[in-house]
Amino acid sequence: MLLIILAVVAVLIIVAFALIYWGFFNKIIRQENRIDNSWSQIDVQLRRRADLIPNLLNAVKGYMKHEKEVLENVTKARTSLMSAKSPQESIDADNMLTGALKTLFAVSEAYPDLKANTNFLNLQDELSNTENKIAYSRQHFNDSVLSFNNTIETFPGLWFARRMGKKTREMLQIPEASREVPEVKF
Amino acid sequence: MAEKMMIEDHIRKNKRLTVVVCVMMALLFIAVVFAVGYIFVGNIYISLIFALPIALVYVLVTYSFSVHTVLSAAKARPANPQIREEKLLIYKVEDMAIAAGLPKPKVYVQDSEYINAFATGKKPENSVICVTTGALRKLNQEELEGVMAHEMSHIQNRDILIATVIIGVVGAISLIAEILFYSMFWGGAGRSRGGRNDGNVIMIVIAILFVILAPIFARLVYLMISRKREYLADSSGAYLTRNPNGLAQALEKIKGDHPTTKPKGSKTIAPLYISNPFKSNARTSIWSTHPPIDERIKRLRSM
Repeated sequence: MLLIILAVVAVLIIVAFALIYWGFFNKIIRQENRIDNSWSQIDVQLRRRADLIPNLLNAVKGYMKHEKEVLENVTKARTSLMSAKSPQESIDADNMLTGALKTLFAVSEAYPDLKANTNFLNLQDELSNTENKIAYSRQHFNDSVLSFNNTIETFPGLWFARRMGKKTREMLQIPEASREVPEVKF
Repeated sequence: MAEKMMIEDHIRKNKRLTVVVCVMMALLFIAVVFAVGYIFVGNIYISLIFALPIALVYVLVTYSFSVHTVLSAAKARPANPQIREEKLLIYKVEDMAIAAGLPKPKVYVQDSEYINAFATGKKPENSVICVTTGALRKLNQEELEGVMAHEMSHIQNRDILIATVIIGVVGAISLIAEILFYSMFWGGAGRSRGGRNDGNVIMIVIAILFVILAPIFARLVYLMISRKREYLADSSGAYLTRNPNGLAQALEKIKGDHPTTKPKGSKTIAPLYISNPFKSNARTSIWSTHPPIDERIKRLRSM
């Protein structure tokens, strides 16, 4: 009788353990996939942003004859965005681009004809749209990394993660400097 | 970081309360069904046979009210990307969908002087966010973002689904109570209680009173859930934008905004809006679908 009870208890413990392992295995995989998916979200927006730049340069070329340096900075930032290899490099290049564009849009205030150009206005909206989307997808990426790291660094997830060979992921850093508004001199 | 954790705590607390209230609702429904069974035949289980199909049909009917029904009740039209402010609105909704990690809802616009917005759709995949032209004109981009985050949170928290099912249960309770009332009026219930003594009569009176009061109580529970979900959408919206200020400012604008025209559209969709267009926001009442606007602003400011 005692033996049967012990056997039942042992089976129940094994079943409970298997269920917990199953749950954590799926949770860890799901959260890791969410990180990868949110990175591809950022990537889509970065590409779209890079694609918009040549159109923008074309639109302003005719108007901004004396702002060669401003336009060159935008081109330079775009090139480093296109050639970025790691997520953090892409984000840094994008911050550079954001800064260069801010200067360009600030300078454009001095050209009333350009300000009245609907094509230019549309591009301006589109570019600030991609900028917001990058900010939010970066936030979502960091949220995803945070919940993944929390899962695999706290008990009992820690234990399963080690068996699965999972390591914590890095969040995307935003340099303090990129939050400042660039100075513009006319 | 400390700020973030606080918002998360708000969210967790609100979710727990909603579960408690939903369980209360289910218990109330079962109690009504049993009481009706007791009154009619002295057997509490018999009534399940007719009450369960009634409840099921009711919930299914409310469930089948599609996104389309709501949108045509609100006389809404799809947002036009050719108009700049509506294009920026579409962008904002997309931003919030990205922040929440959800598919993009369709964006609609309703012609109205009032600053308001609502979300509908039982699944995130076919959800819709609708904004009034008044909101587009009077809110700045930060405030509009706060409102969109609030609506996106309703979608994320499946509030529309919860409300639909609960409205169904409230309706079913009311219907059962009504059937009982009319059948007693026509003397239908008298026959089955023929051979009982006086003690039972008192019990039956109590049961009848309970069944009559139940729909009122069910409605109050529903309104309580509705208000809880509003607070929840406020705090999870603040979590999406990391900026409780945007929504707080928007609510302040809604509070100070008194258009002269009457709000358009059907009253039945009032609980969906970010603030009830048919009621003054100042008074607190257990009959409100939304919490008092000052309390909402206070909570957002403290995040």
